[in-house]
Amino acid sequence: MEWSGQVFSWIYQYFDNMAFLLLAASGLILIYGMMGVINMAHGELMMIGAYVASAAFYVGAPAPVAIVAAGLVAGLVGIAMERLVIRHFYNQLLSSLVVTWGLSLILSQGVLLALGPSTMNMPTPFGSFSVGGFSFGVYRMVLFATAIGLIAGVWALFRFSSFGVAARAAMENPRMASALGVDTKRVYTATFAIGSALGGIAGALFAQTAAISPFFGQNYTPMAFITVVMGGGASAILGLVYAALYLAGVQTIASNVFNQYVGYVSIMAAAFIGLLVMPSGISDFVQKRRARRMAR
Amino acid sequence: MTGVTRSRIPALLAGLNGPQTLGNSRLFWVLWLAGVAAFALLPCVASRYQVLTASNFFISAILALSLCLIWGFAGILSLGQAAFFGVGGYAYGIVGINLIEATGESGAALVVGALAPALLAAAVGALMFYSRLKGVYVAILMLVVSLLLGLFMRQTADPAYAIGGAYLGGMNGLGPATASDPSIPNLTLGFGELVAEFDGRGRSFYWLALGALVAVYLGLRWLVNSSFGYLLVAVREDERRTETFGYDVRLIQLGAFCISAALAGLAGALYTAWGTYIHPDGFSVGPNILVVIWVAVGGRKDLTSVVVATLSLSWISIELATWGEISLLVLGVILVAAMLVAPEGVFATLGAWFGRLMVRSRRRPAPPPTAAAKLGAAR
Repeated sequence: MEWSGQVFSWIYQYFDNMAFLLLAASGLILIYGMMGVINMAHGELMMIGAYVASAAFYVGAPAPVAIVAAGLVAGLVGIAMERLVIRHFYNQLLSSLVVTWGLSLILSQGVLLALGPSTMNMPTPFGSFSVGGFSFGVYRMVLFATAIGLIAGVWALFRFSSFGVAARAAMENPRMASALGVDTKRVYTATFAIGSALGGIAGALFAQTAAISPFFGQNYTPMAFITVVMGGGASAILGLVYAALYLAGVQTIASNVFNQYVGYVSIMAAAFIGLLVMPSGISDFVQKRRARRMAR
Repeated sequence: MTGVTRSRIPALLAGLNGPQTLGNSRLFWVLWLAGVAAFALLPCVASRYQVLTASNFFISAILALSLCLIWGFAGILSLGQAAFFGVGGYAYGIVGINLIEATGESGAALVVGALAPALLAAAVGALMFYSRLKGVYVAILMLVVSLLLGLFMRQTADPAYAIGGAYLGGMNGLGPATASDPSIPNLTLGFGELVAEFDGRGRSFYWLALGALVAVYLGLRWLVNSSFGYLLVAVREDERRTETFGYDVRLIQLGAFCISAALAGLAGALYTAWGTYIHPDGFSVGPNILVVIWVAVGGRKDLTSVVVATLSLSWISIELATWGEISLLVLGVILVAAMLVAPEGVFATLGAWFGRLMVRSRRRPAPPPTAAAKLGAAR
């Protein structure tokens, strides 16, 4: 059955593209949505995660351990970044953008100096299956499931845990929260660490599909930023899901009808058109419409 | 500044001075003239290589000034300023290759090099500013525009990507389409028989680049101290209030964005003429972040500081190159340290401090103001 393979291939690519956007942007959007800082060094945290995972893998650690280690190390680097630098740039959007870009330069160039420009590789696990004469990798689907799992986990953490309540309070009204006994500085550090750890985990997951180099992160950051911008800050997690659904759809169609490059450009174009309609992102738009409906 | 000192300053400089720029005193302009003269005389003592490198520094400074205009004065940060630089560079090369044999000059190519990015800025800027996109989003989308342009230029190795006699060439950089086509021309200005060729490796190009930098610097000083400059600052400080006063903020932002793109394009065109070479890597993260570093470390709200920072940081990068591939790492550290210690920029902070020092030392001979005088001043 030729056509069933074709149809499945499109669906498969859709989920693959979505997994890519979700994973690359998850940590970024958490930090942006909760703290209003766009972390330009997010790609470098992913790069660190990828290096840690591959190092752990070649030492002989099983893949899950390698991924957790990657998340831990990236989270620690995130804590250091927040404590030393980013703390001084809250509520200064443009300055925080520039200073985190500087940090990304330091991290990528530092790793380049320490480890050299040669690339590393990790094998892609799980093999493949075939539908209608086309062959598909299982790992890509595992990536998608993992992305959904991670995002659901983060959502639950911020929705239900006492840390989540404290964090949301600190973001909404820092002075009131600290008056009620929430250590806001610590909450900021922890949130940043979680976002960074998500970046590290994403890096470790992507490391099994792509070559690892000091500039590994640069392949992911632009698309991650577009997803974050499209998602908007009103409801970080939901916005991320909306944006991934929308952008991955456009990309899948464009890259199949035309080519890979047009697929990339189409994400950009789709984000532009989307932002013309919804200047502060999908989640703001949805929230405002819901509020309007409630008012009626 | 009192009326007495203002009248001493030649009327010519009046339009160039104002609260939007540091350095409005006579001392500043004397030092400035001395600095320009020193740079103009540099080729008499410096080696050929130093002259060649310094020409490129001046081009970088023009690029930095273009970002300074929108970021420092209009409050629009673009992380993709190299996009306009690259488009200007490619436009110069493409038009130059096609016209050099027909007209014998490449001044038209230089003009197109400035106009093409301005058009791109008008299109992209209209979309961004008229949809009232947040400042961070503008910054990031511009970076993405730059990266996508780079991605596009990388995959143009196919011979089909030829525009007249120019072949985009993918990773080989822009070049002639066939052996009979000319390569990217040197900057050649003039009409008919009266043409002057500026070889990028020579002194003439050095003086041309210096002249262009001085012209752009003075032009921008005039612009930011004009009423349009005040509008830009008003938009930076409070968009809503400016709008309440009846100004179209989106149009002002778009105007500044296009001027900035044209200047970046001019720098790009000069760069292509300097090395007769342009490559897709010009659109990558590196060049984009360098511009931001120059402007942020210098002081985004002051033109002079940005030029001084660009020249000194470029010089530091070249010096560091002898120590291996550490220059970008060091520049990253300098950027982060500068943002932490002097958020308004190292050179702008130093300049403002020096200015205060001069004012204080000039006032010292005067007797301390009496309480009555203070009251009078307050009234």
